[in-house]
Amino acid sequence: MRPRPLLAAALLLAACARGPGGTARDAMVVATTGDADVLLPPVTSVTTGINVSDLLFCRLAEPTASLNTVDDSGFRPVLARSWEHPDSLTIVFHLDPRARWQDGAPVTAADVAYTFGVYRSPDVNAPLAPFLGAIASVTARDSLTVAFRFSRWYPEQLYDATYQMRILPRHLLDTIPDAKLATAPFGRAPVGDGPYRFVRWVAGAEIDLAADTAWFLGRPGIARLIWRVTPELASAVSQVLAGEADAMEVIPARGQLERVQGAKGVRLVPYPSPFYAAIVFNLRRPPFTDRELRRALAMAVDRRTVVQSVFGPFADVAVGATSPMQWIWSDSVRQLPFDTAAAARALDARGWRRGGPGGMRARGGVPLRFTLLVPTSSSVRQQAAVVIQDELRRAGVAVDIQPLEFTVMERRTETGDFDAAFVSRTIDPSPASLLQWWSPGAAANIGHFADPAFQSLTAEALRAPSRAAAAPLWREALGRLNDDAAAVFVFSPRNNAAFAARIQGVTIRPDSWLATVTSWRIGGARAGAPERGAARP
Amino acid sequence: MLRFAVRRLAFAVASVVAVVVITFLLVHAAPGEPMLGTPERTVASPETIARQRALFGLDRPLPEQFLRYAGNLARGELGMSFVLHRPVAAVLRDALPNTLLLGGTALVASLLLGLAAGALQAARHRTRTDALLGAATLVLYSIPVFWLGLLLLLVFGEGLHWLPVSGMTTPGLGDDLSRLGRALDVARHLVLPAASLALVQAAAFARFQRSALLETLGAEYVRAARARGLGERAVLLRHALRGALGSTITLAGLSVPYFLAGSVLVESIFGWPGLGRVAYDAIFARDYNVITAVALVSGVLVAAGNLLADVALAVADPRIRLGQ
Repeated sequence: MRPRPLLAAALLLAACARGPGGTARDAMVVATTGDADVLLPPVTSVTTGINVSDLLFCRLAEPTASLNTVDDSGFRPVLARSWEHPDSLTIVFHLDPRARWQDGAPVTAADVAYTFGVYRSPDVNAPLAPFLGAIASVTARDSLTVAFRFSRWYPEQLYDATYQMRILPRHLLDTIPDAKLATAPFGRAPVGDGPYRFVRWVAGAEIDLAADTAWFLGRPGIARLIWRVTPELASAVSQVLAGEADAMEVIPARGQLERVQGAKGVRLVPYPSPFYAAIVFNLRRPPFTDRELRRALAMAVDRRTVVQSVFGPFADVAVGATSPMQWIWSDSVRQLPFDTAAAARALDARGWRRGGPGGMRARGGVPLRFTLLVPTSSSVRQQAAVVIQDELRRAGVAVDIQPLEFTVMERRTETGDFDAAFVSRTIDPSPASLLQWWSPGAAANIGHFADPAFQSLTAEALRAPSRAAAAPLWREALGRLNDDAAAVFVFSPRNNAAFAARIQGVTIRPDSWLATVTSWRIGGARAGAPERGAARP
Repeated sequence: MLRFAVRRLAFAVASVVAVVVITFLLVHAAPGEPMLGTPERTVASPETIARQRALFGLDRPLPEQFLRYAGNLARGELGMSFVLHRPVAAVLRDALPNTLLLGGTALVASLLLGLAAGALQAARHRTRTDALLGAATLVLYSIPVFWLGLLLLLVFGEGLHWLPVSGMTTPGLGDDLSRLGRALDVARHLVLPAASLALVQAAAFARFQRSALLETLGAEYVRAARARGLGERAVLLRHALRGALGSTITLAGLSVPYFLAGSVLVESIFGWPGLGRVAYDAIFARDYNVITAVALVSGVLVAAGNLLADVALAVADPRIRLGQ
């Protein structure tokens, strides 16, 4: 009988094919569209790198679910067992003596002081370094006591001292020059002090973590976490639907969300997103120097229709330069109404009258026309731009949509070479992040918005001693920004994480979806396919 | 033969050098900026960006950057990845074997399928089988690779659960499997991405092979073989097929760029950690050193593919004398 190699190969494959969901039963597999860059908190800047290193390295304290950044009640102890404010410029942290690095060494105050030096080092070039600008020094008083000295008083001192830094092991890193930290082998096989320990990283494919069963704050409920890298969003969703993965941080596209919604054994868990998207006008370029014209354009856009047509139920109309994740979000923020009649009157009053080509508006022979930059990386913004283009066309305003690759668009906006740009902003829990995008002189204030009243309100809000006192001030500032129509704040997506039914006890803190993973657990079998061998502990 | 090999080698080296120079100039001339971040990355402050640029020498004039790059390359140094904080050589060392496995499997599979289908069509010329296979190959040849990949993924992965939809191994099982088990696990994961790449190219091979065989079947030496009383099967396999292989071998050599380009899409769809994915990510992040290194490796692979095709052609067809 002749050999049939193809048939033999097929049989062999079939013999070992027991279904696609054959991962270790004690592991939660996370489908992600991007690999990590490096697992070193001061350096990593991509989502997966941040998510993984967040579970390897602890903060001194963590925000609670309220994400109240203003006072101490919004934080729970982690590495720091307690803290005190001996004066308005100092916070003293008392470290938990049970905290250990995964090589057995204790976590000490010297680690905290060393970490601060690393984050502030120009040679490390940490992206979060600017947020530590108000901290003058960090000093170890004894092995378990560390003092943070601030250059000025402000209510978010504790937030800045704890949220921006994850503590590093000095004894493993202090022999490496700061300039070499990012490329040191430690960043690809780190030793942390968090609830999970590093197991392996297969570049471009997989990152494995195992629960640190001796973690000082209690053994995590899930024994292993595995990140599976699949760049194509539809394929990543397919992994979850096929039972090959248990979770996805967020499914950003409506079509993919609808696939998951109808699937058995998988559920969506909604949570507020830290994003908003806005059309930012270049206030240094005519006709956007005219405030009334900007307001008219903003009133001519029906943002509710835009959101409904692009996202359906999966996004909110943005109330301003914030997202539902921040405690300042409120429907009561003053916004310009959708009012085409008022928009038409305002444009007529400014001399922009219909009568140009195609019935479009023009003034002195100059058509009312502008170019809107949209990144090709965002299909939702491209779709939303088309809807907005149509709405403005009906108002007599011509919009040319120019899709650009992300870095090209960033370059254009950074250099001021644009009329209007459809940008998205990722904000952190503190409303102070608003200033990064909208304060005069800030590099990310691409439209060059400047309003003394807005500045004065935000300055006052930053000094307000409590959330109750600060919130109305922040909301009034958001209202001022909306009044000025420096941008049209279009949408804030509702994040939806996908989970296999067997992942139980899921709660999500919006700024960091895995922040509470230690309390999650694995229940029944993975949907879609049989299980295979259990993993090693 | 030796003179031919040296001449081809010199030409290949010159081509690769040209590819590197052109790629270096193009990526630096392209709009965008490596330190501005990607949608996935945190956007850094202008001061941070400026320091990063200085760190990697991107603040220097372009000729100086090129000379420095060329000098490093001459010493075998490919530089550092701006984004991954790793030596580019390490990035390639991880990714290249995976792409070679995927591309090599797809090339062999497409050749086997294409030759078989083409031979069958030629043997059954103007029959229903010929017509059906002709239609099938035409349809396959017209399908974009990424579309076929997604279709296979949805049907055989997500729908039927026969094969894994993503990755190169089953998550978390690597250390628990024997060597054979790991190989079989990789083979299972290889099926869908390799099939996506192979089926389209197999259709091209089949159409070429059919035409070449039909032409060869009318040649004098084939008629002579028949006249000697050889059976139709022996005529086809021993005489006509060898004579018709030339065009397919040439096409196989020229198809290396197809497999490299296809791998960019297929590796993204199936989460295959190869060179295509590295290139894709590097382009969007403007990771200049990685982009140029991928172009260098791709250039070498294409040149090697063409060289191998020439040699294979000479082996398959004794009428060809290399160097003449």
